[in-house]
Amino acid sequence: MVLVSAARDYVNRMLQDISGMKVLILDSQTVSIVSVVYSQSELLQKEVFLVELVDSISKSKESMSHLKAVYFLRPTLENIQHLRRQLANPRFGESHLFFSNMLKDTQIHILADSDEQEVVQQVQEYYADFVAIDPYHFTLNIPSNHMYMLPAVVDPPGLQQFCDRIVDGISTVFLALKRRPVIRYQRTSDIAKRIAQETSKLMYQQESGLFDFRRTEISPLLLIVDRRDDPVTPLLNQWTYQAMVHELIGIHDNKVDLSSTGKLPKDQQEVVLSSEQDAFFKANMYENFGDIGMSIKRMVDDFQQVAKSNQNIQTIEDMAKFVDSYPEYRKMHGNVSKHVTLVTEMSKIVGERRLMLISEREQDLACNGGQVAAFEAVANLLNNESVSDIDRLHLVMLYALRYEKESPVQLMQLFNKLASQSPKYKPGLVQFLLKQAGVDKRTGDLYGNRDLLNIARNMARGLKGVENVYTQHQPLLFQTMESIIKGRLRDVDYPFVGNHFQQGRPQDVVIFIVGGTTYEESRSVALQNASNSGTRFILGGSVVLNSKRFLKDLEEAQRIAKSSTNVV
Amino acid sequence: MATRNRTLIFRKYRDALKSVRVPTSSSPSTSSVGGVGGGGGGPVIELASTSLLNPNRKYAPLSTEDPGLPPAWVDVSEEIAANVQRARMKMVELAKAHAKALMPSFGDGKEDQRTIEGLTQEITGLLRKSEKQLKRLAAAGPSEDSNVRKNVQRSLATDLQNLSMELRKKQSTYLKRLRQQNEGQDGDDLEMNLNGGRSIIDDDNLDDMVFNEHQMAKLKKSEAFTVEREREIQQASKCSWPFVVESVNELAQIMKDLSVLVIDQGTIVDRIDYNIQNVATTVEEGLKQLQKVPFLPSTIISFYFQKPLSFSLILHGIVCIEWISHRRQREHRDEGGW
Repeated sequence: MVLVSAARDYVNRMLQDISGMKVLILDSQTVSIVSVVYSQSELLQKEVFLVELVDSISKSKESMSHLKAVYFLRPTLENIQHLRRQLANPRFGESHLFFSNMLKDTQIHILADSDEQEVVQQVQEYYADFVAIDPYHFTLNIPSNHMYMLPAVVDPPGLQQFCDRIVDGISTVFLALKRRPVIRYQRTSDIAKRIAQETSKLMYQQESGLFDFRRTEISPLLLIVDRRDDPVTPLLNQWTYQAMVHELIGIHDNKVDLSSTGKLPKDQQEVVLSSEQDAFFKANMYENFGDIGMSIKRMVDDFQQVAKSNQNIQTIEDMAKFVDSYPEYRKMHGNVSKHVTLVTEMSKIVGERRLMLISEREQDLACNGGQVAAFEAVANLLNNESVSDIDRLHLVMLYALRYEKESPVQLMQLFNKLASQSPKYKPGLVQFLLKQAGVDKRTGDLYGNRDLLNIARNMARGLKGVENVYTQHQPLLFQTMESIIKGRLRDVDYPFVGNHFQQGRPQDVVIFIVGGTTYEESRSVALQNASNSGTRFILGGSVVLNSKRFLKDLEEAQRIAKSSTNVV
Repeated sequence: MATRNRTLIFRKYRDALKSVRVPTSSSPSTSSVGGVGGGGGGPVIELASTSLLNPNRKYAPLSTEDPGLPPAWVDVSEEIAANVQRARMKMVELAKAHAKALMPSFGDGKEDQRTIEGLTQEITGLLRKSEKQLKRLAAAGPSEDSNVRKNVQRSLATDLQNLSMELRKKQSTYLKRLRQQNEGQDGDDLEMNLNGGRSIIDDDNLDDMVFNEHQMAKLKKSEAFTVEREREIQQASKCSWPFVVESVNELAQIMKDLSVLVIDQGTIVDRIDYNIQNVATTVEEGLKQLQKVPFLPSTIISFYFQKPLSFSLILHGIVCIEWISHRRQREHRDEGGW
């Protein structure tokens, strides 16, 4: 609840002291920030009768002086320019300015200069600069996410912008929580180090007054890691509800766009999947596909009962009861339709792409050893006509990540096969992935074959047998969290920034993955938090990945890297 | 949660820049006070004092063209809001009247009945009227103003619907309690009779005659009271019954009309970002039939079969069979709606 309630509190405070009819003006980022934690009906209760984007509102000339304007924007150059224009020709009665992050003095100066009409009543910094999609999971929705894979020399200003956005987002998480953390980062990642250092500078030097909160015995921990340390998790097919929907269809800001699946009624083309608002989803978001099927069947049965009894209106009492329960009935109806549609659609995709067969192989590649068998299995699947190009690519990538060093000849064979069979495949993509996230680049023990403890653990798992072959995989993050809980996160792998130090185990940890998180990882975090180990984890990333997005970032980075080397 | 107030710095800059600024006589819309000319300094100061003096003014006029009055529809919305408020107050009165009518009394409850009927009718009337007025708020064409109107409409529709539901609940609780009292009364009397009987037996034989008489008198009185009460309650129920029918009908109609406007919480329509995109469309909704639930494809079931535990196999066999039979049944069933 922590992140969601913090963001909600900020929005509440913005609106509560301003009486009368209001218009809420947002930018393209703050729209996401507000939409995931606040609903339209709640806005109406607070007398906000219009919501607009700051760039579109400039275009209209209608005067609406009976409305008070509440702006909630990121303090960017473009937004300040928009505000300048709007303050110079104000359309609304009053203006209240709220910014999601720290303003520079020059920016305040510019705004003050434009406010000749003196419509601005207040200027506040309300630090909600993150999208709180789940209670312990936030994202920053950074469009240029691929930047993290490029060396700094390629596009220094672009990279600086990328890092700035991340530092801004992370720092507001801590401002919202009113804590100042000790910072650690993944040694092998330059960008993680850079972000860690810049965050530290902001919190301890540049704005140390702002971050000077009441110190607790043990500071919270901020750990900055790199996506490339675990490139396997985003490539795998998922079988738990939330992760599966994102992998097969796509979730953005807790909304699912089903319009491309065709012939759906209008009210089901876009649906909301939010654990805060949908009790069924909250109970089932981390369950596996088979269990979800059962739960949905139960839900449908319950609904059938209700629908049947509603048909049976014979006495006036029945009618009265129906009138009373109508809103509940409507809500139930909508919810049932939504989940049935989602599961049906996913089942269809699973069937079309033979995902059960493929996923079994994927899980094998990710979790179990045996290079020879793996090679044969992958080669067979590559020859299989019904396997789609994208799945072929996944398989080869997963094989390459694991068996990079063993039998390079066979690896080459797979590359060639892939290139010859998949016309749309960008050649060299797998090699590019290896260059980015190969075994030499990684810190963590991704396959559990580096230290004795992990090897032993894997053997034990193998002997015990796996409950479900499709959900065997544990993301590397799980191990990282365990190490933190036990106070055994190695300094040599995850050093402290500057002279930060921490003795003992932190109780609050924020892990930020540069390059993006996955829902499989946020599930891991949620389950860890539910186990009451004494440490509370929050996960954040630059975006929320699925395999499609991960590959897109990879392709984009490859394209830019290629063209920059050509130029140089 | 931390925040930082930059208003002071802002005002400082603004005042400093104001004094430095070159006064321009042709700056547009600088004054609301009849365009006092003569240098930008004057009107600016005027406006500043206006906004400082009236921080809570709803409508701060800005330009001389538009007198700065809010559009006419705002009056309509205020009227509706006032009616809603009136209805709320009447509901409080109604609750009191219900409570009073439920208390045991020796008079005939007809007057209480009349008050209750009257109040309920008043409230239903207010809701009806407000609902009709709501329609006037709608506006055609995509414009910011029409969006504001649509949202005001939705907000009031939600209030009205909540009130209707509340009224319904109060009515049904009242009737339920009435009925309970009716039965309860019989039960109580029975108890009393038994107790009376027992005390007769337990009493000293010497005082039997006397107690018996007393007891007889008491019994007779309580009997008369019971009969009277029963009659009262039956009458009340009878009186209110057709009236209840009517009010349920009315409320059902109101709710049906309002349901088009009210936002279903938790759906896509309740998302702020969705509303920004779909600026001008009116929300069209009707109760759609639940589409035939498709048979859960074998993929899900085979997914389950992967588990090594045989128990799940058996379970799934059962589930499969259940699904098949359910599907057949469902195909013959039609879903209910309005």
